[in-house]
Amino acid sequence: MALRDQLRVIVVDDMSTSRGLIANALDSFGIRNVASAADGPSALQKLAVAPVHLVISDYNMPGMDGLQLLHALRSNSATRGVGFLLITGRADREIIDMGKRLGMNNFLKKPFDPAGLRAAMEAIVGKL
Amino acid sequence: MSDPMAEIRASFFIECEELLESLQDGLQMMDDGDTDSETINVVFRAVHSIKGGAGAFGLDDLVRFAHRFETAMDEVRTGRFVPDAEAIRLFFACADILGDLVRAARDEETVSEDITGPALEKIDVLVGLEEEEEEELDFTPATLSFDLDIGGDLGGLPNLPDLPDLSTFPTASETEDEITEFSPVGGAKGFQVIFKPEDSLYASGNEPLYLFRALRDLGDISVVCKCSALPDLDHLNPDTGYLSWVVTVHTEEAELSVREVFEFVDGLCLLEISPLSGRAPAALPDLPPAISAPATPPKPEQAAPTPLVPSPPIIPDIEMPNAPAAPVVKSAPIASVSDDAEDEFSLSSPNATSGSTKTTGTPTQPRATVRVDLERIDRLVNLVGELVINQAMLSQSVAEAGLPPNSPVSTGLEEFLQLTRDIQESVMMIRAQPIKSLFQRMGRIVRESSASVGKEVRLHTDGENTEVDKTVIERLADPLTHMIRNAVDHGLESPETRLAAGKPREGHVTLTAQHRSGRIVIEVADDGAGINRERVKEKAIEKGLIPADAQLSESDIDNLLFLPGFSTASAISNLSGRGVGMDVVRSSIQSLGGRINITSQEGKGTTFSISLPLTLAVLDGMVVRVADETLVVPLNAILETLTLTDGDLKALGPETHVVQIRGGFVPLLDLGAELGYRSPLDSYVGGIVLLIGQEDGNRAALAVDAIEDQRQVVIKGLEGSYGRVPGIAAATILGDGQIALILDPMDLVSQASGRTKIRQPQHSLVG
Repeated sequence: MALRDQLRVIVVDDMSTSRGLIANALDSFGIRNVASAADGPSALQKLAVAPVHLVISDYNMPGMDGLQLLHALRSNSATRGVGFLLITGRADREIIDMGKRLGMNNFLKKPFDPAGLRAAMEAIVGKL
Repeated sequence: MSDPMAEIRASFFIECEELLESLQDGLQMMDDGDTDSETINVVFRAVHSIKGGAGAFGLDDLVRFAHRFETAMDEVRTGRFVPDAEAIRLFFACADILGDLVRAARDEETVSEDITGPALEKIDVLVGLEEEEEEELDFTPATLSFDLDIGGDLGGLPNLPDLPDLSTFPTASETEDEITEFSPVGGAKGFQVIFKPEDSLYASGNEPLYLFRALRDLGDISVVCKCSALPDLDHLNPDTGYLSWVVTVHTEEAELSVREVFEFVDGLCLLEISPLSGRAPAALPDLPPAISAPATPPKPEQAAPTPLVPSPPIIPDIEMPNAPAAPVVKSAPIASVSDDAEDEFSLSSPNATSGSTKTTGTPTQPRATVRVDLERIDRLVNLVGELVINQAMLSQSVAEAGLPPNSPVSTGLEEFLQLTRDIQESVMMIRAQPIKSLFQRMGRIVRESSASVGKEVRLHTDGENTEVDKTVIERLADPLTHMIRNAVDHGLESPETRLAAGKPREGHVTLTAQHRSGRIVIEVADDGAGINRERVKEKAIEKGLIPADAQLSESDIDNLLFLPGFSTASAISNLSGRGVGMDVVRSSIQSLGGRINITSQEGKGTTFSISLPLTLAVLDGMVVRVADETLVVPLNAILETLTLTDGDLKALGPETHVVQIRGGFVPLLDLGAELGYRSPLDSYVGGIVLLIGQEDGNRAALAVDAIEDQRQVVIKGLEGSYGRVPGIAAATILGDGQIALILDPMDLVSQASGRTKIRQPQHSLVG
């Protein structure tokens, strides 16, 4: 079994378009275990019952942004080890530095194509 | 299978409309003086999200514009630029252009550079920035190493992080101060239910799922299953219940209602019900304020980007990223739910708990929605229409069968009738949507039209969430646009005139929507000079619309505005004078089954009031017979019905009669002759007439043979098959299966007056 068959991913983005695009790309990579959430709090709730290996999260979301989600994940022993890929429209130094400090595994700047997403994911989890 | 990308693309454009709406809302709030960082964030995020999506679909024009707009909003967000009224006007213009670009991209069209270019230049001048250089960011991805064990254990999941319990998050009472920001439901009402079934619960055939379903009837619930007590397979006893649940119920109901759900499992489980006390238990601790958007923007002179993070780093003890923990599924059963929560949760840094930001604009959880193709809904509407007809037929057969009123069939039918009505209403509600989108478009009309005539105008809206049938909203756009332009152009005075009259420079136009007695009332009000009745009357005489000696009431004069070919502006301006008069506005409102009214006060302003039916699918009609034909006349067009006596009738010519009603004269129209069913009668004495009224006071008497019934009828359009038939609005199917035409009496009257030269105004206006 390849990694892609086992990998569990959750996609967190407030825009359903983005969730759809990412889910579509993941589908094309052969990743079947994909959950999604429209905001950080509901992502955390979903993770509480169905843990994943990798969180792919947008940065700019209302209420709780991607880095706040990352912080919440890293603050909880149960989700501390999860992989985290931040997707951001503005790759400002502050965001990336903050992400680094919080233990972000990788980031990907928008707009991206499926190949870019795949590369960013493989940098975290290894060959899909 | 359809192309998933095409579907995502289509949903992107729908999502864009929502984002554009919140963009407009946010700008409006900023315009009203709201400087809250969350408001600015909403605006920023809307532009940002549109840009992000557009990038994915390679919509370059849209991306380019959105990017610079976004950059400007970022300057505002970080406090480097503080927008004044002029800047906000520019942002509004940019939002409008952004909307144009979105729709152009959707329809695969382009928007001219002439429109986007100047706005972008203005943005750059205003915010004073140059295109930034892309920063080189050094970042080394942190790899997770999965120890892939494919050796066929359960699911073969490598190093799955331990199942986190939601209860390991702090409960409201434990971290009183920190939680709120991430609470999914602000100010939640409801209960947290901790439910641990004993083995006996299962043994007696109870099923937790059904209990949760019953809880769901009380309100939104979230259920977290705690399975950490589950032993590994070797130690698992199939007859032992290991699971427990934490259910959060968001409800207005009392605790008793929640307890009642568990009434039948009383004593078979551990049950703890505690109120949420305004907080969701699943909430997570807040980040220190530095990470959230700065509450107070730094002063502009601090040009350097504000650091997002204070030093030292706030989470010193994270053992990430290179060494993900490799926990195994715990086998030790937990003692109790609450103990567990206390033991396991600890924040990694004392810093993280100390600073609590004030909750600003907690996002409201959007309601779950489903997007449905309009065609499907319309098919449903149609089917329900059929159902109504079918039910009417059935009622008629039952009535004809002579069953006693208390027979089971009759009473069953009564219920059927009620259900059909309910279904019909519910279906119509699916078609309804808030009028907000239409109102927002009017904001743009006000901005553009006030700029072009050099007036300062502010639009106020009220009742934006009033729900109106989608078709009505679409068909209201044109008349409303015209009325708004009219209000800006003719209604409001120039700033100088206003100042001279002791009014503020800025004129106000107010747009309101509300439900009133089963109809929707939309008002367009301005605080301008009001209608200059002298001038209106002069104009009408000049144009030969009324005789020079006509005695008109104030309201009569106001209603002259609705006469075809009337225009009060002595010089046609580039706004309202587009060949569309208020008469066109009125007829489009009428075609929606609506009415329009005008009230005006000299020096204070003018109000147009539109009243519309809630639905276009059914109407209340009067069923009449004419020359053995059955016809339906919309009830809202009928002022009164009367039986003619000899003294009421006056002949003006061989085939022209007028009816005298309370001192006024109203032209008589023989419906049978008018529709070609028969030739005109010799005498109408003793006949029945329906007095048809229009908002402008024009009236006509329709002669019919008999009034049969008054009932709700389902409207069946004719235009698909026959095109537009003068005087006929639509058709319907009656209870006996007969097809009846639904008249458009106003149209019929104006057709007739054109042909037989009934000079209406003199008679009707004094009536």
